[in-house]
Amino acid sequence: MSDTTRQDLTQGNGHVTNGRPETSHHPETDPKREDKHYYGIPPIKHAHWTWQIPVYFWIGGIGAGTHLFSTVAQLLGHDDPALKRASRYTVLVTMILSPIMLIWDLGRPERFYNMMRILKLRSPMSTQSWSLLIFGNLGGLLAARQAAEDGLMGRNALSGLLIRLIPERLLSLLALPFGLFVGFNTGNLISATSVPIWARNWALMAPTFLASGLSTALSWLSLVLHLTRSGEPKTLRALHRAERATIVIEAGLIAASLVRMSRWGKPLFSKSVAPLFVGGALLSGIAAPAALLFSGKQTRGKSILSSLLVLAGGLAFRFALIKAGRISADDPEAYFTFASDRSAPQPEDKV
Amino acid sequence: MATGFLTDTTVCIGCKACEVACKQWNQLPADGYEFTGDSYDNTKQLSGTTWRHVAFIENPKKKRLTGDIDLVALAEDVTEPLPNGAELDALGRWAFMSDVCKHCVAAPCQQACPTGSIIRNEFDNVYIQPDICNGCGYCVPACPYGVITQAPHDGRAFKCTLCYDRQVDGLEPACAKACPTNSIQFGDVEDLKVMAEERVQELHDKGYTQAYVWGTPEVGGTGGIDGNHSKFILMDEPETYNLPKHPYLPQEKVKGGVVAGAIAAGVLGAVVALAFRD
Repeated sequence: MSDTTRQDLTQGNGHVTNGRPETSHHPETDPKREDKHYYGIPPIKHAHWTWQIPVYFWIGGIGAGTHLFSTVAQLLGHDDPALKRASRYTVLVTMILSPIMLIWDLGRPERFYNMMRILKLRSPMSTQSWSLLIFGNLGGLLAARQAAEDGLMGRNALSGLLIRLIPERLLSLLALPFGLFVGFNTGNLISATSVPIWARNWALMAPTFLASGLSTALSWLSLVLHLTRSGEPKTLRALHRAERATIVIEAGLIAASLVRMSRWGKPLFSKSVAPLFVGGALLSGIAAPAALLFSGKQTRGKSILSSLLVLAGGLAFRFALIKAGRISADDPEAYFTFASDRSAPQPEDKV
Repeated sequence: MATGFLTDTTVCIGCKACEVACKQWNQLPADGYEFTGDSYDNTKQLSGTTWRHVAFIENPKKKRLTGDIDLVALAEDVTEPLPNGAELDALGRWAFMSDVCKHCVAAPCQQACPTGSIIRNEFDNVYIQPDICNGCGYCVPACPYGVITQAPHDGRAFKCTLCYDRQVDGLEPACAKACPTNSIQFGDVEDLKVMAEERVQELHDKGYTQAYVWGTPEVGGTGGIDGNHSKFILMDEPETYNLPKHPYLPQEKVKGGVVAGAIAAGVLGAVVALAFRD
């Protein structure tokens, strides 16, 4: 410090650039630094995750929710070929894209197969890899049978063989728990970390991800059926009712999560995340489609619009959570307050 | 036998010989020349390419340095009034702490690792097998101390190995070997625990009642981590050294999260089923 004295700075008379005194982050010289930490250097490291991970959370949720809806329909004896076709191919595409996103994100993508080296129940990343593998393969078999039924493989002996050999009902039922696991375990994946905003919400993260995944999946199915003008009226009615219920559940879970996150949820309302979270996830992803779904008579246009809004909102929600996690991890104050008393999850806490 | 470190910050002189020895022995790349402007410590933090980091905690006294200054008195921290109304800023307190991987008893990074790359080796140290790590990076946000980090341009995660290769040959880790004041001590964790308690008692007897051991199941190794094999003798609150007071094991709640998810799956399944009722 040349001409500026420390008193000047504490009184705010120092060189002021951009409204902040030009000082080091010294605990003594910087009037903004009264709390305890090491020059504001983050005490934990944030996850490196870039866009592939939130996109995976989104498409994985769509795949899981789609399979839930079509399997429940099948179990209830409601056989709608258009719904079945749409959901089988959706699961196939999402389960092809998901591993691509995840492998892309690896530091050493060529070693992705090491994920299959062990099964570790304590590691959500490990259980997620295995459930994706199982759900993806079962979904692939179901899609293969669907393709054979649709004549995409030609009318030959192979198609006949596929249709005869792949037990549809059994496989969709078998795939259901793994699909649901893919849908909710993404929540556990982020909450089993040291990042305050995620870890604080450990009990509600998985339900929130599954509810949000289901609502995007229902919107996706409704969008596809409306755009192709297919699907039986009963399917569309059920979709509409399920969409209404799920969006209410999702809104409730997000609200409860915010209460649970309390002060550590602040990053969701920070300058860089608020447009995504408040504007994207809450307003355009929940409030606007809810208004459309609960108002007056259902029209095709309204359904398509609300579906698009829900899908975009779901993607924004996942980006917002990942970005907020980065801010939370980079904030020494957040981590130290979280890890200074019993705010952090304790071994004796129960669901 | 479990081996570990005891880092006594009260005798650390901030020479950074441990940082250099670690970089040399483990052939870690340089991190570039960056000046933080915060303190004389420009390493800032532990990373995939820095496995020992000496933190400089610089706490100057409040009084400004004015008038005719007696540098000898300044260095000796003389407090009586000086001639010509000179005031002493003195050196204040300049504390050092050589940070390292905590080698947790229940290690969050090891539990997070989906490939089984992170193991406990025969010395009960947390060790990353570099030939297996595929750089998923999930151990990074799991670590409650911000130790394990992916190395840029490599993709894999790295951290202190507690000089596994040296231990195999019966040598102590490079940092402990290089430490000129024996601030870093290496040995059996049970022995280190006794040494730490004795040293803290000694400090208390001398009047430094603020000294304590960090890395025990009570402080710094809490919340299911069950203590650390790298212990530290600290003189201030853990946060001053960028360490948490009550960290927790993130995987403690995985089972609870799965139960909550399964309940949600059941409820949402029922909601979908009800939606089909006309």
